[in-house]
Amino acid sequence: MLMPKKVKYRKQQRGRMKGKAWRGSEIAFGQFGLKVMEPGWISDRQIEASRIAMTRFIKRGGKVWIRLFPDKPVTKKPAETRMGKGKGAPEFWVAVVRPGKVIFEMEGVKEDVAREAMRLAANKLPIQTKFVSRIGQE
Amino acid sequence: MAQFIVSADSREKRGKNAARQLRRSGKIPAVLYGNNESPIAVSVSPKELSSILNSSSGHNTIFTLGFQDAKTSVMLKDWQFDPIKGHLLHADLVRIALDKVLQVNVPVNAVGEAKGVKLEGGIFEFVLRTVEVECLPSDIPENISIDISELSIGSNLRVSDLKVDPKIKILSDSELVVAHVIAPKEEKVAEPAAEAVVAEPEVIKKGKVASEEEGEPAKGEEKKEKEKK
Repeated sequence: MLMPKKVKYRKQQRGRMKGKAWRGSEIAFGQFGLKVMEPGWISDRQIEASRIAMTRFIKRGGKVWIRLFPDKPVTKKPAETRMGKGKGAPEFWVAVVRPGKVIFEMEGVKEDVAREAMRLAANKLPIQTKFVSRIGQE
Repeated sequence: MAQFIVSADSREKRGKNAARQLRRSGKIPAVLYGNNESPIAVSVSPKELSSILNSSSGHNTIFTLGFQDAKTSVMLKDWQFDPIKGHLLHADLVRIALDKVLQVNVPVNAVGEAKGVKLEGGIFEFVLRTVEVECLPSDIPENISIDISELSIGSNLRVSDLKVDPKIKILSDSELVVAHVIAPKEEKVAEPAAEAVVAEPEVIKKGKVASEEEGEPAKGEEKKEKEKK
């Protein structure tokens, strides 16, 4: 599972997800991509599940780029605990995404294969996404 | 190369408020500069610019800009898209002197199917999708084609392998790899872990604390431990 090797602080506040993803909103490496259409948190497990879904579908046919990294710790209090007594323990890691960000890219496969692989990957994510192609980008 | 004529109006008001009003009215803000003349703020139709960007020559198209009864040869230098809706927000137009050489980025187009992909099951990958060239505006190619049919796994094509017209000078480093065929990576099937261990990353301590008390818990953590007791 993806997570940072070193962090400055163990716990973070939740933060806001205002605005659009002006950076990383275009296809940079591959031919096809998956663009996020709404703000949200994508957890390390969801990224891994999407990656597995994509790579299994394309088998050995193409190359995949993952352009997001879960660097935000999410804490959780244990079950049946009274409120207070400090913030809970870090439970998992998430990547904060804003609408417009291209999260996955693919190269070396035909468009129909890429589209289906991205659809399978998108099914593992908690937010709406859109398939994008380099041809329609310019 | 298709001929495009775009009309532009002068833009008096500046700032995001005026720019948004302009976009609502169906036009986009743009700026015209270059050729040792002063820059001018203009407004243009995004549809006309989109048709230029989607043409076969793309952003390297030289088109005529009609502005205040004068016609100027211009080119798109830069442009911004809305990351969600994908429509144009702003454009930079640069004046072109038709008798002077200019530097542009030209896309590289792969022709054929690589031997390494067809027979050996490799993955074809573009490393450099555009190359910088220097030529006269009338000689700008739509794209530079490269034959990839002889490319096997592990082999690559470099900028020096590109065949271009003698009128065109390639400025990109000749040793740069344009495309290659790589061997596919085997997907390792990870064995399900018997117990999900939640590993925590190392916490970076501040300068003094890190050097003096390495391995010992920080003051804050000591306090917490006491509280727990």
